[in-house]
Amino acid sequence: MDKAEVERRVRKVIRHVLGVSDDMILPESHFVFDLGAESTQSVELVAAFEAEFGIEMDDEAALSVDTVGGAVDFIAKYVS
Amino acid sequence: MEPRAAGATHPLDAVFSPRSVAVCGVTPTPDTVPYDIFHNILTSGFQGTVYPIAPGKRSICAVKAYRYVVDIPDDVDQAVIVFPANVVERALQQCGQKGIKSVIVISAGFREVGPQGVAREERLKAICREYGMAMIGPNCLGVINTDSAVMLNASFARKMPDAGRIAFLSQSGALCTAVLDYAREKAIGFSKFVSFGNKAGVTEIELFDYLHHDPQTDVILLYLEELRDGRGLIEAARRVTRGAGAKPILAIKSGRTPQGADAASSHTGSLAGEDAVCDAVFREAGIIRVTSIEQMFNSAVLLTYEPLPAGDRLAIVTNAGGPGVMATDAAVRMGLSIPRFEPATTARLRDALPAAANVKNPVDVIGDARSDRYNAALEAVLDDPNVDQALVILTPQSMTDIDAIARGICDVHEGAAKPIACSFMGAADVGSGIRLLQDARIPHYILPEWACDAMADVQRVRRWREQPVARPAPIAVDREAVAAILDRAPAGYLNEDQALAVLGVYGLPVPSCRLCASADEAVAFADQIGYPVVLRVVSPEIVHKSEVKGMALDLRSADAVREAYARILRHVGQIAPEARIVGLLVRGMIPQGYEIILGAKRDPSFGPTVMFGLGGIYVELFKDVTFGLAPLDEHTAARMVQQVTAYHLLEGARGGACADLEGISQSLVRVGQLISDFDRIVELDVNPMIAGPAAVGNMVADVRIRLSE
Repeated sequence: MDKAEVERRVRKVIRHVLGVSDDMILPESHFVFDLGAESTQSVELVAAFEAEFGIEMDDEAALSVDTVGGAVDFIAKYVS
Repeated sequence: MEPRAAGATHPLDAVFSPRSVAVCGVTPTPDTVPYDIFHNILTSGFQGTVYPIAPGKRSICAVKAYRYVVDIPDDVDQAVIVFPANVVERALQQCGQKGIKSVIVISAGFREVGPQGVAREERLKAICREYGMAMIGPNCLGVINTDSAVMLNASFARKMPDAGRIAFLSQSGALCTAVLDYAREKAIGFSKFVSFGNKAGVTEIELFDYLHHDPQTDVILLYLEELRDGRGLIEAARRVTRGAGAKPILAIKSGRTPQGADAASSHTGSLAGEDAVCDAVFREAGIIRVTSIEQMFNSAVLLTYEPLPAGDRLAIVTNAGGPGVMATDAAVRMGLSIPRFEPATTARLRDALPAAANVKNPVDVIGDARSDRYNAALEAVLDDPNVDQALVILTPQSMTDIDAIARGICDVHEGAAKPIACSFMGAADVGSGIRLLQDARIPHYILPEWACDAMADVQRVRRWREQPVARPAPIAVDREAVAAILDRAPAGYLNEDQALAVLGVYGLPVPSCRLCASADEAVAFADQIGYPVVLRVVSPEIVHKSEVKGMALDLRSADAVREAYARILRHVGQIAPEARIVGLLVRGMIPQGYEIILGAKRDPSFGPTVMFGLGGIYVELFKDVTFGLAPLDEHTAARMVQQVTAYHLLEGARGGACADLEGISQSLVRVGQLISDFDRIVELDVNPMIAGPAAVGNMVADVRIRLSE
């Protein structure tokens, strides 16, 4: 899976879990500060990424990722 | 100090009276801190405008939400930040860019979590400095202002408290919620309520200054865990608690830190733990230190609701003999007096009460008393010129008309110029009477002893305000001479001859002495000053001379001096072979007297402090010592001498000679000046100083001065 596809699907998951519009989602967007994620939604995001990509991530490491671009890079390592 | 003039502003106005508040990091989930804070502001009757900052949300509680604080089109005075710790910095940066004047950082995860949190907190401080923002927190419950013109509940407390005249400041957020609940039950209101958490920005010192000028506040309560600027706190408290517009401060200081005492090697150091020093210097700043929330509010209510009494004389009116006696015992134990009534008062009481009643103080109106008897007795005792305040005790008998008695007390209270406190003893039966008293703002206590305790605290406030105020006068001494001694000395203890010389320059009474390098020299000096003399080994490695048999007393001849000189060298050589012996100090014997200690220590929180107490071998056994902040003025020094139990001994108890008390006070002032003048002095012990009668004077018998690098 190429990185552009990873990013497309990451954006889709974020729109679905956080209920934000696509134009708010930039690579540098912070899940909490820019996209308004609550603490429980961070856990939901990790679970939704795992389901979307069929992967199992290190929870602690995944929860430390705080931007959209960071999430794309992190997930890309699992799916490449 | 008078309240601020109309139009005058204070830097903390933006904290307490913002016209607009942005809550940064609000979420739409009830029962979470971010939501509850926004909801509290919205529903507490806030007189300004509130904006939720909630990225991705159109609105919170039907109020239009903004993604960033910089998106708000209007000016914003205050931001309450509830974002997680790792994004608070970004939010704060935007607050600065927006021109916001005050921020309340509720979020935890800073200094309290370790080095990473400390660094994070330092970055918040830097941003606040850059933009000139006043910051409360982080890691706090928030701020409440009950002023009807503001009505701000920027906190996650469950409910807005009633308006009142008490300001409560707390370093602990969790304690705040408990206090609010406690106060609601007791119908106690607040003017301001501040949880200041890690106090990275605004501290209790700035809050004291603000509240001093706050027209809604009469009494300030403080719960403090950590002292960072003890001296600043004391100076601020002195400004608040004295002079025109003075306001009492009651404080709980918890979190004792024993490391200072552990690390200390002198008597002063081991006795001067932060808590002991704190106790004494709070007293010298007019802060009433209390040990529990119960005591704090018991005293605060009396100070808030009632005028300050003119003196300590208490009249007790009771319908039960036992509680009357218990209250009398408690009052006397706590330093109040139970005066005799004027004959006219006794006559009034005799006319109004049955024959079996006790018309002396405490007045017993007898168990079957109804409101008429209570009223008559209370009015009579309050009219007595020997009475400064009254305590009314009620126990519920079958015929006791509790509510009527409460109403009667309310009527008397309305026209009374003297303080009244009540103790309706019991719970269920007296409950409605207690509520009547509380509604009329008459201090009520379940136990009469608690009332006496509160009255004793009020006396402390009264006495503090009556104490003379003086600034320490500079003492003319040859500082250069002392500097010359200290500059040559390495870190550690000064040799005794040098320490005595330092004290001598500062005008303390030191004996004639000389450091001798040989027995011949010692004998020559002894011949010069006359016998008997004392020999004392001087070595930088020997702190406790008696442990190495390094001294000899009462030497009455040249032969005795030679023999002692050789013996001391022999013993020290055997017991402490590594010690470098500089010489033996020869001095005259000091006449017998009271052994006292004068100490000084550089306290980590308060800076230079001075200690006074019973000295000699009893110092650590009895711990009969007190402390003051250096430099001392003469009144404070005299009070320190009077504060220790041994004062009664020094003033000549049981026919003993009265010590030279003025000389002791002067020496304390000079010790305070010495440690204030020289930063290298870490600790100083004059122990013992022999306090003789005024005609003989005092004399330093031993001294240790420890220097830093």
